[in-house]
Amino acid sequence: MEKVKKKKSLTTFDIVTFILLICFALLCLYPFWYVIVGSLNNGKDYLRGGVNLWPRLFSLDNYIYVFNDSRLWIGFRVSTIRTIIGTITGLLFTATVSYAMSRKDLPCRNIIFWFMLFTMFFGAGMIPYYLVLKLLNLIDTFAVYIIPSLFNVFHMIIIMNYFKDVPSEMHEAAEIDGAKELQIYLKVYLPLAKPVLATVCLWLAVGHWNSYFDSMVYTNSSDLQTLQLFLVKLIKEANLAASDANVALPSNITQSTVVATVRYAAIVISSAPILFVYPFVQKYMGKGIMLGSLKG
Amino acid sequence: MRSDKKSMFGKKSKKHRINITLLVMAMFGVIHLFIFNYLPMFGIVIAFKDMDYKLDIVRALFNSDWVGFDNFKAFLQDRDFFNIMRNTVLLNIIKLIITFPIPILFAIIIADQRSRKFTGIIQTITCFPNFISWVVYGGIVISLFSSSGVINEIFMRIGLYDTAKNFMTEEQYFWWIAIITDVIKGTGWGSVIYISAIAGVDPELYDSAQIDGASRFQRHRYITIPCITGTIVVLLLLAISGILNSNFDQFYILQNDLNSARSEVIDTYVYKLGFSLRRYSYVTAVGLFKSIIAFILLAGSNLVTKKTIGRGIF
Repeated sequence: MEKVKKKKSLTTFDIVTFILLICFALLCLYPFWYVIVGSLNNGKDYLRGGVNLWPRLFSLDNYIYVFNDSRLWIGFRVSTIRTIIGTITGLLFTATVSYAMSRKDLPCRNIIFWFMLFTMFFGAGMIPYYLVLKLLNLIDTFAVYIIPSLFNVFHMIIIMNYFKDVPSEMHEAAEIDGAKELQIYLKVYLPLAKPVLATVCLWLAVGHWNSYFDSMVYTNSSDLQTLQLFLVKLIKEANLAASDANVALPSNITQSTVVATVRYAAIVISSAPILFVYPFVQKYMGKGIMLGSLKG
Repeated sequence: MRSDKKSMFGKKSKKHRINITLLVMAMFGVIHLFIFNYLPMFGIVIAFKDMDYKLDIVRALFNSDWVGFDNFKAFLQDRDFFNIMRNTVLLNIIKLIITFPIPILFAIIIADQRSRKFTGIIQTITCFPNFISWVVYGGIVISLFSSSGVINEIFMRIGLYDTAKNFMTEEQYFWWIAIITDVIKGTGWGSVIYISAIAGVDPELYDSAQIDGASRFQRHRYITIPCITGTIVVLLLLAISGILNSNFDQFYILQNDLNSARSEVIDTYVYKLGFSLRRYSYVTAVGLFKSIIAFILLAGSNLVTKKTIGRGIF
């Protein structure tokens, strides 16, 4: 009975939106499919065009080529280390400030909040910021990836709103038990905030993994380049002359690869970690927003 | 009796005692922002000095001459000024007008679907591009729109033109590409917040509207939209506050010498001239010019929404 009723009320409008959604989802997916296919195709053959849905001349040479480029490995190492360290330190630092900001008995809470909020709407610009990093001796060091991104006002507001929703009885009960403020934060509030911390943790990790600008502007050393900066160079370069894989590999591989397909292979490799992790953590990604980001 | 008195006293004194631990915790954030956000604001003086082409930026800060508003005047008289301002202001306004309502529409369509499993899959897929960096996404877009890419092939096959076209190197297509890629990359993630806002609407409202004979369109027009107006206004104001902060990554990656007349925005211009040409003072002035306009825009739109809808972020 119920089923019949449902079927009856299925209008053309339902079918149209259904098809629209599927089309849009395919539009979101196709670009990634396109590079995966391209990366698995022989380079010379690829240039003839028409490799859009399936590899025509299957080949792993592009991957072999890019794996032999030392810049990829340096980038992979730098990006991995910065993602791990940057995420953990950033999350702890921001959460600590968020806790203090969520407590009503924080002195001058309003002034501090406005002090923080203002930075979201007004920035001094690239050169003055660069000057400060220079004065702090952070230019061309690994720390330039970690220290400036320790604190994020937007993330702070999200975690703060979550802490605000914790019933104040929890705090009072812990206080009566003799717990100090720091203990209450670490032992009561932090464990309670796991869902929102998971969300912010993922945002931070994705942000660190995807960043190239700080690497491009604030570092010079080749052993501090992030993976994404390697990709930027590969995308902006017209050919593979800068790659040291040319020397390391036999000529049958270097002959069959072209910059386009090598680029694809590098793109696939650098997005692989996100691609593999995303389906499992996807439900946490959006949670932070729903957990009350928009109350202020 | 004694313990009673003590606890009473203790409670009283606690209220007046400053909570040092909390203050220290908050100071971590304050000091961090002071160093990385407020300290650079003093660096704005660079815009009023003559530090262009200096080798040591730190030394130049103390040694160079004051030049007043010369750097600002130089930007206003620059031959690229018109292009840059048009790309920064007009393109970003068009982008906002197009990309802002689409996630709202998308969220309403998602909320209308019956199968939660289906919408779950659609949401998972459509949110994905947001987490991929612009470097990667831009790299893909460049290939898709190049002369050997699939877009060109489709257009040639349906007979729109005969010779292969590289859309990335013809400046008249740049704005389209920037807008389309923004929509595809951002719609899924942008709709998450609206979907959760719609989920919070009391379902009884819809039921009673249905009994009263309201059509689907009417239900959204008179129930969904008013219920999520608060969310829409806050997000709109946030979007306006960042409107002149062009998506640097997108422009930087998709830009090349042949489309720069349509793709050069203040942010890419500041980066290029500042770091490769060392025109420190000039680009700081340009950046400051942008920040001030953006701030005025935000304050203005905040005032308007407060007067008309009664909501704002300040």
